[in-house]
Amino acid sequence: MAGTDPIHQFVIYDIAELFTLGGDGTEGSGITFSFTNSALFMVLTVATIVVFLLAATAGRKLVPGRAQLTAELLYEFVAGMVRSSAGTAGMKFFPLVFSLFTFIFVANMFGMVPYFFTVTSHIIVTFALSMLVFLTVILYGFIKNGPKFLKLFVPAGVPGYILPIVTPIEVISFLSRPISLSVRLFGNILAGHITLKVFTGFAVMMIAGLGAIGWVASILPILMAIALTGLEFLVGSVQAYVFAVLTCMYLNDAIHPSH
Amino acid sequence: MTIPPDNQGQPENARGATRDLASRIASAKREREREDNRSLRDASPEMTGLARGLRIGTEFIAAVLVGAGIGYLIDLGLGTSPWGLLILLLMGFAAGILNVIRVVAEMNAASPAPPGSDLGPDAEDEERDENR
Repeated sequence: MAGTDPIHQFVIYDIAELFTLGGDGTEGSGITFSFTNSALFMVLTVATIVVFLLAATAGRKLVPGRAQLTAELLYEFVAGMVRSSAGTAGMKFFPLVFSLFTFIFVANMFGMVPYFFTVTSHIIVTFALSMLVFLTVILYGFIKNGPKFLKLFVPAGVPGYILPIVTPIEVISFLSRPISLSVRLFGNILAGHITLKVFTGFAVMMIAGLGAIGWVASILPILMAIALTGLEFLVGSVQAYVFAVLTCMYLNDAIHPSH
Repeated sequence: MTIPPDNQGQPENARGATRDLASRIASAKREREREDNRSLRDASPEMTGLARGLRIGTEFIAAVLVGAGIGYLIDLGLGTSPWGLLILLLMGFAAGILNVIRVVAEMNAASPAPPGSDLGPDAEDEERDENR
């Protein structure tokens, strides 16, 4: 029953084949690069953000209209988040945090539209985003602080004979950041969408299997699905916010490495 | 934000008026700052219990997985199986606990206990008990 399969919504399929790397020219050899439905929705997400922000800030009135006000609120929200977590020195990373927040937020909201693909439900996408943050932290930390960045792994006030135990633990804790960052976003979105599909699937199966009784009984899973839809909107926006806040906190470590 | 009534504390000369205005601006700024702080606190990332639980859970699991992964790679490279995996798994466990402690400390800092609540005896109380 493809209609009620809860995993089917995450299938990636090619829309257009682009080119093949390597291989001997026969069918199925080498790595084929394609424009997939996932890529399509990433492009749609970015296009929506860019078009909205360009349109909203085109007028630049002193007294903002509705669209301009929304854009300004969005800016103030992310700017306040960066300033409070990473300080004024963190504002040079504002473009990164703003892009991450709006991309995840809009992608999650797109995912809530029926028949749309949810970009953030694939761990490779969220892992790429978190590795972007992680590598930025490491690169900037070493460029700005040099070897002092390694102080991050040596907590202040720890006696020397405990350091051989504490430092590996700190290193593992640091390396676990991109994993927890990506798994949290991916897990929340994946689990939410599967639950939603399972509950609506119940209603479809009841109507198909039980007839008239099924029509009445399907009210219960439908009510649950309505409640879950609201919850999913909340989870989608909260997870975008959490991702951005944690990005700011990790960047703060790169700017001020002493614990 | 309340607007102070205009007829209140009307000064006789212009200097008084400036001083009055300055104090009113200062008080309005203070009030606004308080408002900003409050709205920042309300919008903390830990909005729901579910989000809080998932955050702690992933922080813990990720550290254990990373520790085990590094241990496995060390074993693969040096042929010390199973010691690298065992030791690094336990290290990952410790790092997971460290992550959880950090997250919870940060959550506690974000939402301090309401004033007047009983937080148990602190260091000063203990000292007083000993001196008695």
